Amino acid sequence: MKEWLQNRTECQNFETDCMEVRFPFSLEGKTILVTGASSGIGLSVCRAVVASGGSVIGVARREDCLKEMENELGAGNASYIKADLSLDADIEDITLRMPEVNGLVYAAGITRLAPLKFIKRHDLEEVMNVNYFSMVLLLAQVVRHKKIKRNANSSVVLISSVAQQVGTKSSLLYTGSKGAMSAGSRVIANELSSQKIRVNTIEPGMVQTAMASEMEDMLSKEVVEKDMKQYPLGYGIPEDVANAAVFLLSDASRWMTGQSITLDGGRYKLLD
Amino acid sequence: MDKNQFLQSFAEQFDETDPSAFTMNAKFKEMDEWSSMVALMIIAMVDENYNKKITGADLRETDTIEQLFERVAAK
Repeated sequence: MKEWLQNRTECQNFETDCMEVRFPFSLEGKTILVTGASSGIGLSVCRAVVASGGSVIGVARREDCLKEMENELGAGNASYIKADLSLDADIEDITLRMPEVNGLVYAAGITRLAPLKFIKRHDLEEVMNVNYFSMVLLLAQVVRHKKIKRNANSSVVLISSVAQQVGTKSSLLYTGSKGAMSAGSRVIANELSSQKIRVNTIEPGMVQTAMASEMEDMLSKEVVEKDMKQYPLGYGIPEDVANAAVFLLSDASRWMTGQSITLDGGRYKLLD
Repeated sequence: MDKNQFLQSFAEQFDETDPSAFTMNAKFKEMDEWSSMVALMIIAMVDENYNKKITGADLRETDTIEQLFERVAAK
């Protein structure tokens, strides 16, 4: 009983220290590695990290976009590593060049629409490579090289998709890859919990990004407009996802791991 | 591009519609079985068979199989 009381007091003191020292949603003093940083959700995460007081290292293939991101956010707050995550050599390069970070956001991703009977091994490999294999391989190297701070409330945020909770026609390539990501995140969360490294996913519905525009081009404006009407709060914007990522990266979520936040404007839980 | 081959491949994306309904003058979007799923299969079929990309807009802006054939041939 006495020991329990002592532990409880220590915890309360810790909580009080956390709350008093700084706003728990702040990322002040934290450095975050963000993949897919050249556009869409990844770029929004970079902006949100800096707006929340942190500094960011963006990873993407397109150096011009990365430079633009660095210029916009300021060289003191943002830097970048140009890399192609589908190449093992580039993953190794990221791991060697990056400093020890407090968090990592995996926002790199691609999508392809294809009905089941048209799916080929090449399509599967292309989507799985970027959306799942590279995520696993990057985290494996980052952990192996101890580039994410241990016992310091570090946080890994994986941008999955609400697609993996449902069964949208023609989305098998994408849905399968995000399902693997979400399922894998719980295993990784468990393995890293002893180092107090938290791992959570965000599962957004349709977010207005270049990737969504590609879908609109392939389908039709009418199909997209019909789909948008299914969202009580409308389609999301990248900032909606970035704000949730800031929460998961911050100390405000220090007791949360192996979980998923669904952000879909009410699409799948609110019924007429 | 062979018209008959295109017509056959187009028809193969449908499961319920009577094969006799597929002529080059058939208005495909008026077929009972036409759906967003069939549209995706037509897009995928054109990609696979002809290595050409068509979009929802191409389907929206054409009415008959002949018109779609001409549009794919022109790409």
